[in-house]
Amino acid sequence: MANIDKIKQLQDKKDRLELGGGVDSIEKQHKSGKMTARERISELFDENSFVEVDAFVETRGIDFDMQKKKVPGDGVVTGYGTINGRLVFVSSQDFTVIGGSLGEMHAKKITKVMDMAIKMGAPFISINDSGGARIQEGIDSLSGFGEIFYRNTLASGVIPQISVIMGPCAGGAVYSPAITDFIFMVEKTSYMFITGPEVIKSVTGEEVTGEILGGADSQNSISGVAHFKSPTEKDCIYEIKRLISFLPDNNVSDAPKYGSNDDLNKMVYELNEIIPDGANKPYDMKQIIENIVDGGDFFEIQQHFAQNIIIGFGRLNGGTVGIIANQPKVMAGVLDVNTSDKAARFIRFCDAFNIPIITFTDVPGYLPGVGQEHSGVIRHGAKLLYAFSEASVPKINIIVRKAYGGAYIAMNSKHLGADMVYAWPSAEIAVMGPEGAANIIFRKEITTAANPAEARAQKIDEYREKFSNPYIAAARGYVDDVIEPATTRIRLINALEMLASKRDNRPSKKHGNIPL
Amino acid sequence: MKKFLIKVNGNQYEVEVEEIRVDGGQQPVKEVRATAPAAPVAAPAAAPAPKAEAPQASATVPAGASTIKAPMPGTILRVNVSAGDAVKKGQVLLILEAMKMENEIVAPADGKIASVNVENGRSVNAGEVLVSMA
Repeated sequence: MANIDKIKQLQDKKDRLELGGGVDSIEKQHKSGKMTARERISELFDENSFVEVDAFVETRGIDFDMQKKKVPGDGVVTGYGTINGRLVFVSSQDFTVIGGSLGEMHAKKITKVMDMAIKMGAPFISINDSGGARIQEGIDSLSGFGEIFYRNTLASGVIPQISVIMGPCAGGAVYSPAITDFIFMVEKTSYMFITGPEVIKSVTGEEVTGEILGGADSQNSISGVAHFKSPTEKDCIYEIKRLISFLPDNNVSDAPKYGSNDDLNKMVYELNEIIPDGANKPYDMKQIIENIVDGGDFFEIQQHFAQNIIIGFGRLNGGTVGIIANQPKVMAGVLDVNTSDKAARFIRFCDAFNIPIITFTDVPGYLPGVGQEHSGVIRHGAKLLYAFSEASVPKINIIVRKAYGGAYIAMNSKHLGADMVYAWPSAEIAVMGPEGAANIIFRKEITTAANPAEARAQKIDEYREKFSNPYIAAARGYVDDVIEPATTRIRLINALEMLASKRDNRPSKKHGNIPL
Repeated sequence: MKKFLIKVNGNQYEVEVEEIRVDGGQQPVKEVRATAPAAPVAAPAAAPAPKAEAPQASATVPAGASTIKAPMPGTILRVNVSAGDAVKKGQVLLILEAMKMENEIVAPADGKIASVNVENGRSVNAGEVLVSMA
C-alpha cells in the first residue's frame, strides 16, 4: 500500500469513528430528544477546540460474540478542549454503541483522561448516557467502575469534577457522579437509581416509574442527589459553562476574575427596606443576595432541595464568592437535616477550591420534632459546624435578622472562626427568641402576677428591647461592627480585599473525621 | 338544613346536613344524613365538617388531586382560599405560623383548589394535608 493510500485509509477509519453506532442509532438518539456523544462535546467546548484521545481503542472481550459487536471507540468519546478559553477534560458516553455500556477498555479511556485532568490541574466533566456495566465483559467491567470511583476520590478537592446525566445512569454507575462535586440532569430524558423499577417491584412490591423513582425532578427536589435540572440538553450545557466560569482550575489556583462594571463603592439603598418590621414576617432572602453581588448575577445551586437554605456562587468586584444564606420564606429558614447536608458539602467545596465564603444569617433555630431527632439531626447538624470550623478560606458573616441559640453558633459565627461578622441593626442575636427566654427567666414573676398573660407580654417586650439586638454581641466583640444595610456591598468588598492574604495554619493531620 | 354535593373517589353524592342540639343546647353536634345514592362512604367524608360556612374543611382529598402538606408543625393563622377557587402559581393559599414565623404556603402551580382540609386556629403536624389542588 502506498503511503498516500494509508493516509486515505486513516481518513476512512476516522469517518467511520465519527458515526459511532451508525446512522440508524443516531436517528433514534435524536428522536428521543438526545444529542449524540460528539454533538454534546461540540456544544460544550469552544469551536474546534476539542482534541480526541483514544479514538481507536476497542474492546478485548471475546466471550458471547463480542468480536462481532466490536466498535472502535468502545462506546465513549474522551479528550480535552477549552471552555471560554480554559482547559477542560471530558468523557462522553455514546449510547449508540452497545448502549454506551461500560466495558474494560471503555473504562480505561475514561480513567486515562481523568489522570490527565489531575496531572494538568484542569476540571473534568463526565457525560453519562449508559445502560451500565457491559455484562459480556464480566468482572472486567466491574474493575472499570472501581478504577473510575477511585480516581473520582483522588481528584476530589484537587480539580472540580462535574457529572452530567443525559440518559440512563443506573446501578453501580451512579457512584461516580455521587462522588463528584456537581450533578446536572435533563428533564424527562435522564434518570439515576441504584435499583430500577423492575427490581424494586420484585423485591418490595412497590410500583413506580423510572421518572418518579429517579428522574430529574425527584433527584433534584426530593433526594438532593442532583444539583441542577434543565428542560433540554442545550440548556443544561449552557448552565455547565456558567458554573465553570465561577470555578478555579484546581485547588492551587484562584477562580478567574472578571472585570466588573458594577461599582464597588455602590450604596444599595434597597437593602434598607427588605427586612419587614415584624420579626415573624417572612421575606425573600434572594432579594438581599441579588442586590449585593456584581450585576445581580447569582448562580444558585440545588435550588429545588432543602429550600430553607440557599447556596450558590456570585461575584464581588469580579471575584467568585460562595454564598450560604438562610431563607426565611421557606420553613422560617430553620436548620434541619437536609439544610445541614446541603450547606456543609458546599462549604467544603468552597474551602477546597479557595473560594471565600459569605453567609447571610436569619435563622430561628434547629427544627424541633421527633422526625428530625430520629433522622439524626444531631449527626447531620454537626456537619454544618464542622464544615464552617474546618474552612480556612476567608469567611464573612452578615447577620441580617435572627441568630438564636445553637443555630447562631452554627451559622458561621465568630466562635467557629469567621473572620468578619457584621450585623444589620435589625439583628436579634440571643440565646433564644424573646418569647421562650421570657418564659424561663421571668417564670416566677409571670405566674404570680395578677394578670399572667399581660405580665408575660410585658416581660417579652422587656427582653426584646434589652437583648434582641446586635449591640450585646457587638459589645463582646462577637460582632465586628453593626452596619447600615445599604453599605453591605462596600463592606464585603473591602473585607475580601483585606482577607486576600489570609493565612490560617492548622495542626497537621491526615484528615479530620467529619460526622457523616 | 343545608345540602352539599360531595365527590368521593369520583362518585358524586348529595348530602343533607342539619345542625341539631343535645344536652339542653350546650353542645352543637352535627348529624349527617345521606340521600340517594346513599353510600356509607359519604358519611365520614362530611361528618368532621365543623362549620356550616366552611363545609370543605377537613374534606377528604378528592381522587387524583395533588396535596399540599405542612412542611413543619405549626398553627393555621389564615386561610385565603376555599374549594373551587382558581389559583396562580406562587399565590399564597394560607399562612402557617411555625417557628414564630408566618410562613406563606403557596400554590406550586396554576390550578383549582379541590379541597381545603384545615381551618383557622388548627394545629397541624408536619406532613398533614392542608389543601389539595386539581
